[in-house]
Amino acid sequence: MSVIKGFLFLLGFLLLGDVLAALFNLPISAGVLGMLCLTFWLLVRGRMQEDLQAVAQPLIGLLALLIMPGVVGVFFVAGDYLDQWLAIFLALVIGTCLSVFTTLVLMSKLTPTASKQETAEDVQS
Amino acid sequence: MILESLKQQLLLTPYLAIALTLSAFFLGNYLFQKMGRPTWCPGILLAALLVGLFLGLMQISYQEYQQGAAWLVALLGPATVALGVPLYQQMHHIRRLWRPILLTLPLAAMLAAFYSVFLAWLAGGSSVLLASLAAKSVTAPIAIGITEQLGGQIPLLMGGLLITGVMATLWVNLLCRALQITDHRVIGFALGINGHAIGTVRAFEISPTAGAFSSLGMGLTGVFTALLLPWAWNLLGLAVVA
Repeated sequence: MSVIKGFLFLLGFLLLGDVLAALFNLPISAGVLGMLCLTFWLLVRGRMQEDLQAVAQPLIGLLALLIMPGVVGVFFVAGDYLDQWLAIFLALVIGTCLSVFTTLVLMSKLTPTASKQETAEDVQS
Repeated sequence: MILESLKQQLLLTPYLAIALTLSAFFLGNYLFQKMGRPTWCPGILLAALLVGLFLGLMQISYQEYQQGAAWLVALLGPATVALGVPLYQQMHHIRRLWRPILLTLPLAAMLAAFYSVFLAWLAGGSSVLLASLAAKSVTAPIAIGITEQLGGQIPLLMGGLLITGVMATLWVNLLCRALQITDHRVIGFALGINGHAIGTVRAFEISPTAGAFSSLGMGLTGVFTALLLPWAWNLLGLAVVA
């Protein structure tokens, strides 16, 4: 029951995101707006909502499953792009390498070193 | 003939597509475990291959499959909203690091799109290809919207998203070792900015802290790219024409 209640909460925020996107003509998806609204609401509330927690964890675990059907489509169009394999390879493999490198360097230069307690918490995994 | 009409019957409802998706997902995960969890070949890629193979063998078109699977994919909306929960739970970490986050994010998100579009352009990629790959680091529901605006192809984008996600986890893994970065906040953030939902799935495997930073990176990259990329694209398009 609490999972369903939590799910209803998620749908409520999703619809809220939809309404906001339509009202203000934002090019952002309803899901992300809903996520930001949910975070903001929890911050204002100051504590976790039990039903939400019950549904969020399993649903987040399903993300990979939910993306997968879309990925299947690539096998059906891949043939049209074989002649551009070099561009695709460079963009996806080298491009991602460069952007990961930039993010890591920027972020680790700017981030103060973690306190002892955090490091201990991090080491275990 | 009987088989053919049976197939048509089964395709009337979304259940075949959903069952196929779920079985491929579990089988893909099983194979992934059997192969010793290789970073270069995640369960989702194996699962997508299995579905593609099945559709090919049974002569089912991708559109027919997609119509049924849409019932499952609809959960992507609430699942994206659900990312607000870990985001809230890790807010104390995020609050402490608001400065590096705000400084890193715009540049990192912009470069994620720029590097790939520039490299593809150098190698002579067509304008449709460039438009399809520009949003490759953005989480699927937002990336689809952006790609439609730029005039790209959605299936190509989805393939790009998958490879980018895999590459991001791979490179984060390798580069963190090379640069001796062990801070889960930094690792998570890099995974989310560059590897969207696939990076975030990986980040949650590392630790809840990494997962929260990844959700944050993914969300912010999505919002930022959605706002800026179509606008930058127009500028760039004009520059090319002139």
